[in-house]
Amino acid sequence: MRNTIKMISVLTIVGLVSGAALVFMYKYAKPLIIVNQKNEMKQAIFKIFPKAKKYRKETIKDETIFKVNDKDGKFLGYAFLAEGYGYQGTIKMMVGIKKDLETLVGIEILESQETPGLGQEITEEQFKSQFKGLKTSPPIIYVKNKKPTKPNEIEAITGATISSRSVVGILNEKIKTIKDELR
Amino acid sequence: MIANLVLIFIAAAITHNFVLTYFLGICPFIGVSRKIEQAVGMGLATTFVMTLAATVTWAIYHFILIRFNLPFLQYASFIIVIASLVQIVEMFIKKVSPPLYRALGIYLPLITTNCAILGLTLFMVLREYTFLEGLIFGLGAGAGFTLALVIMAGIREELECCDIPKPLRGAGITLIIAGLLALSFMGFGGLISK
Amino acid sequence: MSYDKNCAEKPKRLCANCGREFCKGLWRENPIFIQVLGMCPALAVTTKALFGFSMGMATTFVLVCSSLVISSIRKLIPPQVRIATFTVIIATFVTCADYFLKANFYTISKELGPYVPLIVVNCIILGRQEVFTSKHGVFNSFIDALGMGVGFSAVLVLLGSIRELFGFGTIFYYQILGEGFEHWVVMALPAGAFITLGFLVGIFNWINNKRKK
Repeated sequence: MRNTIKMISVLTIVGLVSGAALVFMYKYAKPLIIVNQKNEMKQAIFKIFPKAKKYRKETIKDETIFKVNDKDGKFLGYAFLAEGYGYQGTIKMMVGIKKDLETLVGIEILESQETPGLGQEITEEQFKSQFKGLKTSPPIIYVKNKKPTKPNEIEAITGATISSRSVVGILNEKIKTIKDELR
Repeated sequence: MIANLVLIFIAAAITHNFVLTYFLGICPFIGVSRKIEQAVGMGLATTFVMTLAATVTWAIYHFILIRFNLPFLQYASFIIVIASLVQIVEMFIKKVSPPLYRALGIYLPLITTNCAILGLTLFMVLREYTFLEGLIFGLGAGAGFTLALVIMAGIREELECCDIPKPLRGAGITLIIAGLLALSFMGFGGLISK
Repeated sequence: MSYDKNCAEKPKRLCANCGREFCKGLWRENPIFIQVLGMCPALAVTTKALFGFSMGMATTFVLVCSSLVISSIRKLIPPQVRIATFTVIIATFVTCADYFLKANFYTISKELGPYVPLIVVNCIILGRQEVFTSKHGVFNSFIDALGMGVGFSAVLVLLGSIRELFGFGTIFYYQILGEGFEHWVVMALPAGAFITLGFLVGIFNWINNKRKK
């Protein structure tokens, strides 16, 4: 009986102390994590629009978009988040598009859990830069093992067609919704 | 709906096999893969715990942690649930099949520290599975674990008659075989495209 | 190998055993090569040397902190619930490490993903508490944990460097092999992890066998 009480009290005390420690840690880390996430988006937007000086978050219907301006206040285009399922997990990216909604400015991958060395190449400049200046209609398509010829084509990564296809698919779907919402 | 569940099952069992692509559950994979019989026992025990753990942690995550906004207790509560489940399974096997209990020996308590089970629950939460999806995911991951373990045990039984360079005996050759298995499992990669 | 030699030369400087306690984790009882524990993070996060290093540091942090706490309260814990208590303490430190990484090293924590929480089930940590910490004093446990952590991290960095070198031509993002080097994609894949570690274990055993003779 005494042993049981001891067992329960030790476990309870350890549980309480660790719970308290975790609350403390959580309170310390939470605001920093939010700042990190915001910074990440900010950096992605500024990377897509090198001339950008500031941007404004706006909610149009159900979509959150960022209106990007340069230092003279000239309107550069829109940026928005696109998210979907890749080969091994969620792919999340920031997309920049010109104000006519017809030309892509670029994309930045924020999150992806694709296979290192293959699918993860979608985060490399070589793949991402293909999207610069791409036309959005007709929808973007990918070609395999040859150089893209049309203004809406990109070349898929060798050995990672599924990841490349996922990026293109997520992109097309989101661009379509954004176009519908903004027009 | 059904198609989605089948996809989750196949992904967890074959194309994204827990052992061979996520490296989860390597300790028992190397430790208990000498005899097919043991491998089957270990695999089934793990599958059972995995499915149970998936359902219980799903409930805890959604009804307690989310409801009361306690995300920081996630890891601690998950591991406690898993540890208790393992204890229960251990007592159960001890009662029902003493030979199996003796054969699995020290590895049963080690299911607690089997990363595959905690990994499963973490992936389940990360991918925002529904209850049914979580259940199927647990079953699939368990099936995949058993599959990898049994294949490995089969190969190792054959290896007993081979002349392996001395330094590679044991963990070394097992890891290299696991690498070759991982390569061959990549061949299933195109099976699903979700 | 040189670690072991250094230790053999100056064990008495610190205290009776602590040089030995520290060094056994590096070579004689290396967590990965000899005990074959903690393989999951060793294989999963070592696509690049930096990730291996971060994982090693996080694991060492958790190992050292939990060893300190557990060894100081070891006499109060009833043996029946010791595993549960150990696990709660370990999980607490892992959560702290996870939040710390998320707050201060955001990109790294994203790369390591669910493998940070998986430190909870790293067999090395619970194993050390069972085998060593629950029977030894605070100072010895601390040295033991530090040695194990450093030994573990060293293997992770070694494995990460080899895989990064052949898989991407770099080590710690520093270009080693020229632009013309065709990357061995397999090294970045799971298969490459298994095979590299398999051969490393082989080489380790080979050296050990030679030294024994």
